[in-house]
Amino acid sequence: MTGGKTEMAVLVPERGTTVLMIGNPNVGKSALFNRITGANAIVSNYPGTTVDFTSGTFIGGGRTYTIIDVPGTYSLDPRDAAEEVAVRMLRDYPDAVVMIVLDATKTDRGLYVALEVMERGMPCIVAVNMMDAAHEKKISLDIAALQRILGVPVVATTATSGEGVRDLADMLRKAKVADIGAIAQRMRGEEPEREPAFTCGGCGGCGGR
Amino acid sequence: MLTELSDLPFGATAIVREINTSAHDLNCMGLRIGKELKMITKQPIKGPVVVLIGELEIAMGLEIAGRIMVETGTDI
Repeated sequence: MTGGKTEMAVLVPERGTTVLMIGNPNVGKSALFNRITGANAIVSNYPGTTVDFTSGTFIGGGRTYTIIDVPGTYSLDPRDAAEEVAVRMLRDYPDAVVMIVLDATKTDRGLYVALEVMERGMPCIVAVNMMDAAHEKKISLDIAALQRILGVPVVATTATSGEGVRDLADMLRKAKVADIGAIAQRMRGEEPEREPAFTCGGCGGCGGR
Repeated sequence: MLTELSDLPFGATAIVREINTSAHDLNCMGLRIGKELKMITKQPIKGPVVVLIGELEIAMGLEIAGRIMVETGTDI
């Protein structure tokens, strides 16, 4: 009997993971959010501020994710109400996975807040959105190199057409905590110390599993 | 030649050399030391200036622009 019960428990999706979408304003977070959550999106009001955030549900790979679309922010050093919401959301959901959304045409600006988020030690995944705009402007991006340097999964997306959104959703479970020290070393062209043998320590795509 | 960003004429390009104000506020917007910028808008009566850095347009008050030192005249 007990064995049967255990088997049942395996089939029940694990407790939902909260995913916070963080990024500069106007990088397509909400478009991406709508793509991922579909028509399930609901609007809610964060108490104590006039700035709204949106939350929705996404079920994939037997897991339930609560995706929260956080207002756009340039940094985590709150200077206005919207940035305060972003910082509070990060504080209120310490166990959340952070989906960092970058504008493919303005990656350097987006990486500023991305690194601030990574410094907090939360598991991250990076979506490089607006790839179509980058192609149009003849901007080419080395997604694999970015992934190697950051050590977290990086996925190219175009929210307006839906390109890469499936990959992004699949990669959610592979979100990883970034190692700022290792990123700095890789930026200097040094190879950080090898990670333990049981993890590949390479692309971040497998999440070390 | 080092000059204040606020003195950069319309259409001129320069390289950011010094930020003598809250660097964080400007850095997170994409304006960092070593970046090349172009003055694209200057408003009259001490209005804001807008600079272009790559694909980014960054607007700031004239006072802030006065605290950013840029280098002109080099081969950009």
